[in-house]
Amino acid sequence: MPQFEQVSVFSSLIFWSLISFGLLLFLLKKYAFPPILEMLEAREKKIRGDIDGAEELKKQAEEMKKEFEKQLATAREKAETIIHLAHEDAKKQTEKSLADTQAKVKQMQREAEHEITSSRNKLLAEIRSYTATLTIASTEKILNRTIEENDKKRLVDESIEEVIKELEKTHASS
Amino acid sequence: MESPLHHFELHPIIHLSIGGLDLSINKAVIAMWIGMAIVFGLFMLVVRGGLSMVPGKIQSIAEISLEFIKGMVKEFIGDEGMKYFNFVGSLFFFMVCCNLIGLIPGSYTITSQLVVTGAFAICIFIMTLVIGFSKHGGHFFSILVPPGVPKLMIPFMVPIEVISMIARPISLSVRLFANMTAGHTVLAVLFGLAMSAPVWLGWLPFGFTVIINGLEMAIALIQAYIFTTLTCVYIGDVIKLH
Repeated sequence: MPQFEQVSVFSSLIFWSLISFGLLLFLLKKYAFPPILEMLEAREKKIRGDIDGAEELKKQAEEMKKEFEKQLATAREKAETIIHLAHEDAKKQTEKSLADTQAKVKQMQREAEHEITSSRNKLLAEIRSYTATLTIASTEKILNRTIEENDKKRLVDESIEEVIKELEKTHASS
Repeated sequence: MESPLHHFELHPIIHLSIGGLDLSINKAVIAMWIGMAIVFGLFMLVVRGGLSMVPGKIQSIAEISLEFIKGMVKEFIGDEGMKYFNFVGSLFFFMVCCNLIGLIPGSYTITSQLVVTGAFAICIFIMTLVIGFSKHGGHFFSILVPPGVPKLMIPFMVPIEVISMIARPISLSVRLFANMTAGHTVLAVLFGLAMSAPVWLGWLPFGFTVIINGLEMAIALIQAYIFTTLTCVYIGDVIKLH
């Protein structure tokens, strides 16, 4: 086996392999490993920091959510109270306006009835007085004169005229 | 037919001798340098390309591999582990590049040389002893006595523990060397068969070389991982003392 027989190369192999390893160790230690290890550490730190930050933010967000929910619940409660009050108010107002209207209507009805009654009474009184006047006038004419057929119309017309005059007089005086 | 072990032979490319010591540069050394250059080049590509918070593909690979080593170091050595990160990381990438570069035909796997794996294993062994003594002083010898052993058993346990300690660098080095050698030998045998057989039969061993090559890639990574993990375990042992 050459590995055991070629004794002459042993010294060179041992020497160069150890020296070369030493050189590689030096080069890697000086130029290669530190920046990569630093980068690994920096990334680890960054990730850790990011995770911590994210957790902190999450916590804050949860607190804010809770706060918002609380506020929302309060607002909802307030809104319900407001709606309820408004509802009550509206109901009261409706009832009040209904009562007012009903009272007004009743009042108007009463007034109308009163007016109608007084007008009727007035009219009846007027009619009664005119009828009496007419009757008196007609009776006067019938009693005083022999009524000719031609005069009948004229007499009635005269009576009517007199009544009208009487009415006008009454109106003028009132 | 050429011996399947023939390709493990090394011949000097650049003759070099310092103080009577033959330090000629051969194919294995050059292959190792190319592998190292690729590893370092890839890392530089990542670093010089500008590291970003959102990593690209190549940065992700570099980060994953370093995270992997970080995890290994922390798991086996403990809280003090990051002190040895550079060493363990470099060892892993060195082993990976040496193991993988050898899979390119015509290249060479320097880890298939027992002297190389042995040299690393012995260095690691010595390093663990140094760490152990510097950390625990004389108390370090308690590593030879497993906890909870009756006093009567101590004279028997100490030699066993000494043997197991010495076996560590041996097993560490032989495992890697044997795996690499065996894999390359199997590939060489299958390829030799494919070359020497007629075409109508040769496709079969050739097909196997393709499959075994894939397997060897996995083995190259796994063995580098095992070598590094065991190094961490040994360092962890001397730090924690059981």
